[in-house]
Amino acid sequence: MVLGIILAAVAGAFVSIQTVFNNKVNEKTGSWLTTSLVLSMGFIFALVASILMGEFNASQLLQMESWYWLGGVTGVGVVFCLVQAIRRLGPTYSIAIVLTAQLGTALIWDSLGLLGLEKIPFSFNKLVGIIIIIGGVIVFKYKSGYVDEKST
Amino acid sequence: MKGIIFALLGGSFITLQGVVNARISQDIGVFQAITITQLTGFILAFSIFAVVRDGHYSDLQKVKWPYLFGGAFGLLIIFNEVTAIQTIGVTLTISVLLIAQIVMAFIVDATGLFGLRKLKLHGWQFVGIGMMILGVIIIQL
Repeated sequence: MVLGIILAAVAGAFVSIQTVFNNKVNEKTGSWLTTSLVLSMGFIFALVASILMGEFNASQLLQMESWYWLGGVTGVGVVFCLVQAIRRLGPTYSIAIVLTAQLGTALIWDSLGLLGLEKIPFSFNKLVGIIIIIGGVIVFKYKSGYVDEKST
Repeated sequence: MKGIIFALLGGSFITLQGVVNARISQDIGVFQAITITQLTGFILAFSIFAVVRDGHYSDLQKVKWPYLFGGAFGLLIIFNEVTAIQTIGVTLTISVLLIAQIVMAFIVDATGLFGLRKLKLHGWQFVGIGMMILGVIIIQL
């Protein structure tokens, strides 16, 4: 339980660091070239890791279920949808909706045990917890500004 | 309205990405799963780039080189996420991941790390973080 929480927390911290790195690239070029670069790096490092860990098995990859090859579409879907949403709604409003969808999807997934993952029954406190988290994000984002801006 | 639909889909895709990687890992192992999803994502993104041409390779020379390797963090991120999903479930994983992400972004902004503009701190932000942590505690009750 504790290990799972630590792993998730470390992942989240690195999502933010990766976002900073990706934005530095995106400042100089377009989002699709940036996305291509980011995913190519992820691929190269994952390939090396799978070989080093003795997991790599080409014949297994050729025999696996064919829909696995569509796995990467989700990552590209994230980039495309977020770019489109932020362009139309601005970052703050977009993020509130994105988080709601993200947590809502997670709750639905656990409750139904979709795609053969272990089913974790729905409980009312999960829904309440998610609503409080979303409320916390809205409070957190409320009135943020930069140090070098004049206060109004 | 279109913007809202894109934002909803984008959020669902973020969760789905973790779930799909966790599902594929059950079958072929986590490192191979990450290899496959990053490769197919790259092929799709690069095909779109080949059509829209929203940048030129020479743009990348203007980026300080360590930033070009941001994608490498994907390995650590997805490995941790998949392992967490398998031990504590999707809801708790995504909740904790999200909060750590927001808090880390806050630390980066507040300290001006990586040469970014410094963000002003105010009391409401601590109230917000407190609420998010309270939410996670309630989820696992």
